[in-house]
Parts: sequence; C-alpha cells; structure tokens
Amino acid sequence: MTIRANRNNGQDPAHARTDPTDPASIDRELPDRIPDPDRRSVLKGAGLAAMGAALGTAIPFHRNLPAGVIPVALAQDTGAALMKDKDGLTLLNERPLNVETPAHLLNDDITPYSRMFIRSNGLIPQSALDMDATGWTLDVDGEVDNPLSLSLDDLKNGFETVTLALVLECGGNGRAFFDPGASGNQWTVGAVGCPEWTGVRLGDVLEKAGLKSSAVYTGHYGNDVDISGDPDKVVISRGVPIDKAMEPECLIAWSMDGEELPALHGFPLRLVIPGYPGSASQKFLTRIWVRDKVHDGAKMGGHSYRLPRNPVAPGTEVPEEDMEILTIMPVKSLITEPETGAEVSAGQPVAISGHAWAGNGDVQSMHVSLDFGQTWQEAELDAPPNKYAWQRWRAEVTPPEAGYYEVWARATDRNGMMQPPVTPGWNPRGYGNNMMHRIALFAS
Amino acid sequence: MRAAACLVLPVIFASVTAVAAQEEPNRPSSGYDPMRRSLSPSLKEDGGAPPGNPDYGGLPDAAGAEETYYLCSACHSITMVTQQRLSDDRWDYLWDWMVEKQGMPQQDAETRETILDYLKTYFSSEDRG
Repeated sequence: MTIRANRNNGQDPAHARTDPTDPASIDRELPDRIPDPDRRSVLKGAGLAAMGAALGTAIPFHRNLPAGVIPVALAQDTGAALMKDKDGLTLLNERPLNVETPAHLLNDDITPYSRMFIRSNGLIPQSALDMDATGWTLDVDGEVDNPLSLSLDDLKNGFETVTLALVLECGGNGRAFFDPGASGNQWTVGAVGCPEWTGVRLGDVLEKAGLKSSAVYTGHYGNDVDISGDPDKVVISRGVPIDKAMEPECLIAWSMDGEELPALHGFPLRLVIPGYPGSASQKFLTRIWVRDKVHDGAKMGGHSYRLPRNPVAPGTEVPEEDMEILTIMPVKSLITEPETGAEVSAGQPVAISGHAWAGNGDVQSMHVSLDFGQTWQEAELDAPPNKYAWQRWRAEVTPPEAGYYEVWARATDRNGMMQPPVTPGWNPRGYGNNMMHRIALFAS
Repeated sequence: MRAAACLVLPVIFASVTAVAAQEEPNRPSSGYDPMRRSLSPSLKEDGGAPPGNPDYGGLPDAAGAEETYYLCSACHSITMVTQQRLSDDRWDYLWDWMVEKQGMPQQDAETRETILDYLKTYFSSEDRG
C-alpha cells in the first residue's frame, strides 16, 4: 500500500462520465463512494431513519434522494465537478475538497488556475457554484466608527484597485512528513501557489470604517457550508492582528489571474493575507468583524493553526492552553524544474530552477547542494515583483560521474533563518514544516 | 439534485499513478521522488492490514470497518481517515473533537470502542513491534 494508492483506489476516471439522472453513475465516479448491490442493501436495511439517528439530523436535501444513496447526495456541493479544469493535481480528500500540486507543475512564476491547490474546510457554497453574486455584500463591523455594508461595486469604485502576485500556502503544507503522524490532510509539498490577485487593500477598507483604538484583531466570515450539512455551523472563521491587516499587501480580492475569482477559490470575494497560513485568507468573504480581543472564531482555538508554545518531543499530547497561534509562515522553497527523477548526462551542467518565499517578506539568499548537503553553492535569486510574491531562483549543477544524485534546495530569509534538512519542531497538527525540498537526478 | 448535473468526476491525476508506481523505494529509478523517504514511516507501509473492502471505501476488511465507514463518511471522504497515522491518544482526542467541535453525533460506548479500536489498529503511528 502507498499513501497515494489509496487515494483513488486504483481507479482511472479519466474517461468516466456521469449521467446526472442516474445516481449510481455518480457513485461510480466518486472514488470514496463505490456503489454495489451489497452496500445498497446495507443502506436500505438501515434506512433513512436509522441513518438519521446515527448522524443526528444532519441529512440535508434528503427529499431529493433516491432511496439508498445518502452519501451521494451529501457529495453534491464539494465542488468536485470543477476539478476537471485542474491539471495533474493530487486529490487528498474529496469531501471537503482538498487537492495539492506536484512540485514540477508549480514552475510558473504566476500560478495559473489549473495548478492552484485547493484547501476547503467546508463545501463550496451554491452562490459560488452558480457564480452568482447578486446582492452580495461585505459587512465591516465591530470596533469601528462607521460600520460598512459594501456591495462589490462599492468596493470596486470606492477604493484604489491593486494587483499583486501573492503566495498563499496552507499552514499544513508538509504535514505528511511529520512522524508520528499529525492529523489532517496529508499535504506533501504542493499546498502553495502564487497567483496574481486583484482587489482593494484590506487596510483601506478598515480605514474607511474607522478603526477604534480598541481594535486589536480581525474576524473573518464566509458563506461556505459545513460538511455536516448543518447550515448554521460556521465552517471556519479566523483573523489576524490589526497590524498585519493594515499591511498594504493584504487584499480583499475579486479576481485571480485576471479572471473572476473561481468558485473553488472563493467567488465572489476573498481575503488574501500573504505570509500567514492560508486559513487567514477567508474565501466567500461576507463579513469582517473587528474585534477588541484576539478573535475566537471557529478554528482559532484548540490545536487548529496553533503550535506548542515550547518545543515538544515528537508525539507529545500538548494541552490546548499551551498552544499559541501560528502567524508568520517560515522561509521555504521548491525545486520546480526539472521534475524529480530526471535522467541527465554525467559531466554536463543541469539547469535547476524553482521558487523561494518567506512569511516575513523577501528571501535573502538561495543555495543548492548536489552532495546531500555536504557542500552548497549559491543560486541566482530574482527580486520579487512585489513583497510576498515568490522569487525565481536558478542554478546549474554538474554531476561529476554517472550515478544517483539529489538536489537539495535551501532558502534563507532576511533574518538569516534557513530551511532545515529534516522536519522542524513536531506539533500535534503538523504545521509549519519548511524542510528542504529534494529531487533526484540519475546521471549516465 | 441540483448540482448533480455538473458532477462529472473528481479528476484523478497522473501524479497519483506516477507515485503509486514507485513501489520499490529502495531501488530508485527514473521518476523517483526522494521526498518519499521522509514520509512518516508508518505512511509507507500497511502493517499487514487485511485487503481493502470496496463496500467501505477501501477500508481494511475487519471488524469495525462498516461502522467506521458509515459514521465517518457521513460527513467527509473516507480518504480523510485512510490518510492518517496517529497515536492512540490522538485518535481519542479526535473523537472528542469531532463530537464537541465538528457536530458528530455522540455514539454509545460500544460503537465508540468498536470504531476507535479499528482506527487505532489500522491507522496508527504507534510502534507495536
């Protein structure tokens, strides 16, 4: 068994099509929901009432269901249908939809839609699936002098529009490398991307609302739907300190890569808070609640997006009161060309390239090693187009003779902090893993 | 079902196949990914688990698979479970987290024990050697 193998049960869906009138055909297309007569009989035997009892009352849309296909109906709002426009990505979890990008597909300086990872906490709201923003408003309230209720036009016309390339990275990117395992989606290296976002500065909007001196934190809300189907449950509501929110690179965005914000990435409006874990960048944004204390919304507490205050031995159960919020993401880099496992010629230079980024801003330097970290050479590092964009780096390495080689890549941030060769501090939920990326070269 | 009309399929992914094909990490060849060596060791082996049961999303076919499948997949994909390799304590914690924070209906003691035993057996990071 490999971890990847059980993600798709070995199915090849590339040619599959779903007949919308036949629920069983939907079952066949969803890897977790393989239908067969036996399972149906189990469900039929259990019955809707029994399932309802086991699940509480959270069986939405049940009137629409043919008998015996409850899990299919529950799948309808995951956004999985939209995956057809994603190119070569790896499905970690379909409900909620979580998908990462292999490193070599992240070579573009500006990540295109087709290669942008997806991290969903809940289901994709119907307004996004329909791409219908009729009547959409963004409310800004709480510790402000003038609470705002802004339409999309208000935002587009009332503030300066800016376009920036900004890295978004899931706080749990790299979780799969922690041992013992940390719970959650087992992201390897590809829960990161750097699209170009267009919108207005969050700080400009907060300024217009007039921050009171009591304002210390933001609290973000969207209209996504909890995977339990409970329409009243807040899926996720995180926030950032006001000082972070006022940085000019924090955006309220309605466009990604020059297009309307896609359904999977937060249509019609989202935050982009670069340098912080992606969860701060609320999708489907409806409200910013300015708080007079650290925001206490869903997934702000417990172990979610938090690290132990003091370093702990791997596998330690850490009391919740000893956890603190993960804020600035660590320095990191990827090798995006060539693809790992490339066959190259001994004695010939091999062009290596990738991106580097840091949660606190620009990367200071970039190094690569061809001998398992024993010697390092400095790579050429481009300046970013703007702060919090990732930076292109390039190097040439020459395998001296035939054999197996690894390229290791190491970025250093402006404070001299650099990527470690192994996982940094273990934590219960597996955040902040910035270990070096490595690829293999076979020289002959 | 309104969205069913556009439910084509979750595209699955050349890279999955490519990684799955690397069944011999000790003898790397073209296409090998050295990051695999760094995966949590328990993620790379199946620990002698029984074969997956397609009725239950490919969960190892053993006592508790049915209960685990129906309780967990009611809200999220069963891949959310099969990705995990966790300590016993962490599974206990997650159960309570599911109930307290994620709205999972409380189960009777017997069901809880059946499912947690199953999870701790087949999706564990504990060194039981």
